[in-house]
Amino acid sequence: MGYAMARFHFPGKSVIKSLMDLPIAFPELVLRLCLLLLFGQTPVGKAMEEAGIRVVFTKLGIVVAQIFTALPYAARILYSTFESVNPRYELVSRSLGYGEFESFKNVTIPLARNGLFASTVITFARSMGAFGAVLILAGGSYMNTETLPITLYLNISYGNIGMAITSGIVLVVLAFLAILVFEKVEGGL
Amino acid sequence: MILEIENLCVDLGEFKLNGVSLKADRGDYIVIIGPTGSGKSIVLETVAGFYKPIRGKIRLEGRDITFLPIEKRNVSIVYQDRALFPHMSVFENIAYGLKKKERNSSIVREEVRKIAKILGISHLLHRKPDTLSGGEQQRVAIARALVVKPKLLLMDEPFSALDVKTRENLRKLVKKAVKKYDTTVLHVTHDFEDVFSLANEVAVMKDGEIVQTGRPEEIFSRPLNDFVADFVDGD
Ligand SMILES: Nc1ncnc2c1ncn2[C@@H]1O[C@H](COP(=O)(O)OP(=O)(O)OP(=O)(O)O)[C@@H](O)[C@H]1O
Ligand SMILES: [Mg+2]
Repeated sequence: MGYAMARFHFPGKSVIKSLMDLPIAFPELVLRLCLLLLFGQTPVGKAMEEAGIRVVFTKLGIVVAQIFTALPYAARILYSTFESVNPRYELVSRSLGYGEFESFKNVTIPLARNGLFASTVITFARSMGAFGAVLILAGGSYMNTETLPITLYLNISYGNIGMAITSGIVLVVLAFLAILVFEKVEGGL
Repeated sequence: MILEIENLCVDLGEFKLNGVSLKADRGDYIVIIGPTGSGKSIVLETVAGFYKPIRGKIRLEGRDITFLPIEKRNVSIVYQDRALFPHMSVFENIAYGLKKKERNSSIVREEVRKIAKILGISHLLHRKPDTLSGGEQQRVAIARALVVKPKLLLMDEPFSALDVKTRENLRKLVKKAVKKYDTTVLHVTHDFEDVFSLANEVAVMKDGEIVQTGRPEEIFSRPLNDFVADFVDGD
């Protein structure tokens, strides 16, 4: 998606770009509420429930919430990554006999490697840290739909400061590790 | 006739090619000159297939390639900025296009060695492009373009970013290499030295049109109009 946005010009591109950026700027809670309503009350939600897919207040809800939190960031980074790769490389590759997809695979992907990796790390980090969305959509019930930030939150509200600090530290360490790995890989190029 | 460009019109919004026609016989070395912004690069890139014309035809060896996908044309392009693949070695860069057509890797190796020898870069094959000098990089780019035996070689100001001595040297190498590979060339330049030492045919462009074509002596001694006279005289 980020690639398509960077390479092709089409009518309405700027509108789509703004829509993609909206979740980044939008008040988080409002957005999550929309998600909850979408999966809960609307025909979409009802249809999914009839098909046996329950999103609200389940573990699947965590995944959905994390995806919706992290995706805009991932798309954003991919967009600027692919935009920074000079299209000339791909055109040269094609003039040497490779099709569009092969050229993308042989030339653009390797040149976009750093950005692809950064996008993965940040997506991961955002998913780990997703709080509002997970809380609203999955409910944040103890030992069931619990993620690290929610553990932290629950423990604070129970007055269990020790556990809260522990989960806080785990979160920070994970974020730190992600950045460390990222720096290592990037430095090795 | 190996290349026939007929009344080519390309619409890029602010800029248009207005009915460009050009012909080349096998082995011709055509140099395109003209002021900056006159559309020289657009002509090359349309022949390569990067832009779709709104009118006109491009025929290569008798076949209509006007709307053929880039990868089906067998037309190579060399840029001033080289555009070598930075994640591949010099050898891999040169072998890249060849590998697509030739499965036998010992033939690929042999062909790469052959062109590398002609262009004097045999000792650089294991290096990464960013460790080479500008002139060396350009020789690699030319090797990569020639090794696939293109029906047509396009070069867009290939020597512009180089010093006079390197340019001189590269002209000789290019002359030798295109002769060995029996390649037809369209070469865009701002340097009249390229015209004198390489061209057997010159095209002068202005505002998206070709205003005169002819042998180099013709262009310089009998310019068709004031613009051409000024352009080849000025500099
Ligand atoms: N993709 C594009 N869309 C719209 N206009 C373009 C595009 N590419 C180039 N142009 C414009 O077309 C005109 C001709 O460009 P072109 O690159 O062919 O000039 P040129 O003759 O090669 O000039 P130079 O000698 O400076 O390289 C320029 O005014 C340029 O701004
Ligand atoms: Mg140009």
